[in-house]
Amino acid sequence: MKKIFVALLVSVSLFGAFADASMIINNGAEPQSLDPALIQGVPEQRINTAIFEGLLRYNPKTALGEPGLAESWTVSKDKLTYTFKLRANAVWSDGTPITAQTVVDSWLRSLDPATGSEYAYMMGMVVKGADDYNSGKGKKEDVAIKAVDDHTFQMTLVGPTPYALDMLPHQAFDVVPMHAIAKYGKDWTKPENFVGDGPYIVKEWKPQEQITVVKNPKYWDAKSVLLDSIEFLPIDDNNTGYQKYKNGEIDWVTSSSIPVANIDELKLRKDYQVSPQVATYYYIFNVTKKPVDDVRVRKALSMALNTKELVDKVTKGGELVATSIAPAMPGYTPAKGNAYNEAAAKKLLAQAGYPDGKGFPKLTVIYNTNDTHKKIAEWVQQKWKTVLGIDVELQNIEWKTFLDIRNKHDFVISRAGWVGDYQDPNTFLDMFLKDSGNNNGAYNNPKYDDLVTKAATQSGAERFKTLNQAEEILMTQDEAVAPLYFYVNQDLIDLTKWSGWYANPLGIHSYVGIKKVK
Amino acid sequence: MARFIVRRFLSLIPTLFIIITLSFIIIRVAPGGPFSSEKNIPEAIMNNILKKYHMDEPFLQQYLRYMGDVLHGDLGPSYRYVDHDVNFLISHALPVSMLLGTISMLVAVILGILVGIVSSLRQNSWVDYTAMSVAVIGISIPLFVIGPVIMWFFAMRLQWLPTSGWIDSRRGWVTIIMPVITLSFTYFAYIARLSRASILEVLRSDYIRTARAKGLKQSTVVVKHVLKGALLPVVSYLGPAFAGILTGSVVVEQVFLVPGVGRIFIQAALNRDYTLIMGEVIVYSLILVVLNFAVDIIYGFLDPRISYK
Amino acid sequence: MTLFRKNAEALPAVNEFNQAVKPVSLWADAWRRLRKNLMALAGLFIVIFYTLISVAAPLLPLFPYEEQVLDHQNLPPSTKPAGEVLLHQKQEYMKKVLAADSRTEMTDDEKAQMASLEAEIKSNPIHQRHYYFGTDSLGRDMLARIIYGGRISILIGIVGTITSVLLGVILGAIAGYAGGGIDNFIMRFVDIMYGLPYMLLVIIMMALFGRNIINLFVAIALVSWLTIARVVRGQIISLKNSEFIEAARSMGAGSGRIIFRHLIPNSLGVLIVYSTLLFPSFIMSESFLSFLGLGVSAPLASWGSLVSDGVKTMEQYPWQLLVPAVVMTVFLFAINFLGDGLRDALDPQSKNRV
Repeated sequence: MKKIFVALLVSVSLFGAFADASMIINNGAEPQSLDPALIQGVPEQRINTAIFEGLLRYNPKTALGEPGLAESWTVSKDKLTYTFKLRANAVWSDGTPITAQTVVDSWLRSLDPATGSEYAYMMGMVVKGADDYNSGKGKKEDVAIKAVDDHTFQMTLVGPTPYALDMLPHQAFDVVPMHAIAKYGKDWTKPENFVGDGPYIVKEWKPQEQITVVKNPKYWDAKSVLLDSIEFLPIDDNNTGYQKYKNGEIDWVTSSSIPVANIDELKLRKDYQVSPQVATYYYIFNVTKKPVDDVRVRKALSMALNTKELVDKVTKGGELVATSIAPAMPGYTPAKGNAYNEAAAKKLLAQAGYPDGKGFPKLTVIYNTNDTHKKIAEWVQQKWKTVLGIDVELQNIEWKTFLDIRNKHDFVISRAGWVGDYQDPNTFLDMFLKDSGNNNGAYNNPKYDDLVTKAATQSGAERFKTLNQAEEILMTQDEAVAPLYFYVNQDLIDLTKWSGWYANPLGIHSYVGIKKVK
Repeated sequence: MARFIVRRFLSLIPTLFIIITLSFIIIRVAPGGPFSSEKNIPEAIMNNILKKYHMDEPFLQQYLRYMGDVLHGDLGPSYRYVDHDVNFLISHALPVSMLLGTISMLVAVILGILVGIVSSLRQNSWVDYTAMSVAVIGISIPLFVIGPVIMWFFAMRLQWLPTSGWIDSRRGWVTIIMPVITLSFTYFAYIARLSRASILEVLRSDYIRTARAKGLKQSTVVVKHVLKGALLPVVSYLGPAFAGILTGSVVVEQVFLVPGVGRIFIQAALNRDYTLIMGEVIVYSLILVVLNFAVDIIYGFLDPRISYK
Repeated sequence: MTLFRKNAEALPAVNEFNQAVKPVSLWADAWRRLRKNLMALAGLFIVIFYTLISVAAPLLPLFPYEEQVLDHQNLPPSTKPAGEVLLHQKQEYMKKVLAADSRTEMTDDEKAQMASLEAEIKSNPIHQRHYYFGTDSLGRDMLARIIYGGRISILIGIVGTITSVLLGVILGAIAGYAGGGIDNFIMRFVDIMYGLPYMLLVIIMMALFGRNIINLFVAIALVSWLTIARVVRGQIISLKNSEFIEAARSMGAGSGRIIFRHLIPNSLGVLIVYSTLLFPSFIMSESFLSFLGLGVSAPLASWGSLVSDGVKTMEQYPWQLLVPAVVMTVFLFAINFLGDGLRDALDPQSKNRV
């Protein structure tokens, strides 16, 4: 019996050695869709960057925008109008040329309320008239985008938002094959009908099993596409994924699929890559609920947590201690916040009327079901008990119910995490505007709203200064959330085998330039 | 007899109908919906999504529409995996689970009954104790432990098999070995214990003593008389067990990355993918109800004491 | 229990030759036979031992099961004080770090770290603790967690088994005995409950009513009585036409008397085997829910949640899987052998009366 297996194994590995350069990725979950307008999650995004491209694409090292379909652009003096020049050789994988009109049509499709795109709001944030059309208040014709000629595309912004360019590589701004959509309708993403403009095209899609993409020879930068194929496996069991990786059956375990329970072992590995991410882990206070409607209680709860100990001894992945909601970004200094201070925390709690935790009402901390969240919640519970003398109850809730509870503000303290959609503090700060749909803690401070709105009309250092003032109010003064740490990207990939893979702040990899070395 | 079968069969239809209706209500009662997401969606867009899937209609109308579609064999579009129809997803996953389930069940039944016979004939011998100890381990260790341990042993330690995945051109059929071992283990354990217990019971009965007294050979007694009587509890266990093994192999499918219905099912329930859950419920209950029906019929053939009026 | 004793006493106390004999109650008789079965006896003692430990857990000199000592993470089981184990663990880890970096010498920084650790171990009394079953990833005592986890798991097993056996026996017996419309109605109901996927019900119930242990019990028990009901019904149907029931009926016994004094005791053997199969299955169901993250709320543990946590680190910290898995398996073994023994002892057909 053993011989058969060995023979099989040998044949498998021989086959592997002679096969073309291909990369197998643990993608974590079955994608919801391949349609750029309909996707939200990270697994979907990971496939999306391989098969679609917008005006700009992600730079592999910085995850900022770099020329994609547009080879160059000019910005008007008032920083409101952008004119893009499209590549003359940009075509779909079936040979159909991509024109400025395709871009206009694709964007309008994504904004069309009938499409039901959940990420179209990003376009609404920057493009003039887009939000109105998207929310059903305005007309299609009033969206300030136009095709000047076949290869010139122009858009006008709502304000001099400097982050607009870095948002453009995001899937919300992707260009889609309108001709294929017209022809195949809902089935246009099926492999047999698929047409794309990214470095790779979909070849095979076996639900719950794998998606295979192969090199797109018609891609404008096809010379930089150095792999013949990429396979995305929807492995939802992190331990199986890790065993598969150790056994050489997959090449890259992506950030969300890292088996965190094995962190001590992972840290000894040479192929374990850690890099800072634009993402924050925090606990939201529902500021309308007792006792956390009292800012002193919020500060006490937050300052009682020795987050250094949390990242060093509990999460152990090299996460960075956070005292603000937005991480530091080029040009932006986050708010000071209220750092760990046990004595001050106790004093604040006493001032709020609960000396040594006496009389503190019983409250429940909710978190969505996940091993890391559970461990962190257990640590927080223990700290609040030993430092402040208060008892809290933990409750883990499965995702959909969790979202429901949070959106209805039906909690007192809840775990939360936010991953920046683009590299600007605005992606964190606009959550806490009074009318923001993501303001789960019901935070409401008109002064804060004024500052964030004012910043949207400013640019450069002046804008960052305004945003910093706003964050000082949000965090240092009001402690709307208890920040715990800034996430890191954790990937398992052997860089002696793969060149052209770079850790970057968004953890988004475009696959262009990734090469198998051995 | 024929009349009983027909009547029993006809009674399956309202049963199925009630199951489908109940599930339709239950999943809609659970908090959160298929389209709730972390980033809050503008109302206009949400309304459009709901309209697209007819979820803006009154509940009764949604129900009637759905039942109409189901009668035409259309289980609707998946709310989560929006590029696919439920028909496509299930037709892709069901054969996988069927194959895995059937092989595992065959292994479990054959080994289970064999071990049951040997144990009961050598009651309280070391063979019996060993066999029953193995069986108890099968019952008392969760699949999510057996699976990873087997994977660690065969794939990592011995390097005989690939860790996980499903039958494909590259790896061939070897990937089915570990899922089958894991999945059949528990069922083997149950069947071995059940058949041992019932064989012991039958062995003590008067008609077996009579058969022995007539001077029949031990093997004849066992095959001709004991087995027939002893298989009753096993058969009645097999119906639900088979449906369970087909659809409930959630853990095995998740650990070994088998693209079957069990894996989809938990995902669909957690994602509130209403149509996909409903599709799975319909398939599951159809299999189960039919199997239980089959068990009743087989019972009638095996047990002369039951009379059908 | 008194039910059966009365029953036995009511029978004329004579043997086959019509000689008066001292009446032997069913239970005394069963106990006599059970005592001869070594495996069953061992099972009984183990079950009693576990039950005692679980009941007395708050009185035992254990560390609190939720108390974290972050310096004592992932310590292996040992009879030595935690400080020594910790130091050894750190030294081993340093060796691995050196090997990974292909160095032979520790940096000054690392040396200083080790020295301060040694000093800390000497000075801080917390390092004198003993962890006989090791610790988990937050430095909590596995012994305490396993004992408290056992309380939860055993309770789930007991409550679940009792609820489902009661429901199953009553409904199954009624259906089997009454037949006709009642039988049809009950069995259709069972069919419907069977047809609803059990996991769906449990997930939805958890989502609806929030997660606490009571809901967990109810959710699991409500869907588990079905098999018992079917089995009991089958037994009753095959027994109800037998001679001794006819005899009872001809002597004017009522339906209730026939069901509860004759039919059910005669199905006891099968019932006990099913219960001993059910009991582990409740503990298994709970552990499956724990695997899906839907089990007991943290920081509480159950055997299932400990095992499902342990399996993730089974290569690195094998004891985190092995210890709870062995503790749990031993208990389930005991239950099983006790069940087998009881079945043999209680079997009304067994003729080897003394």
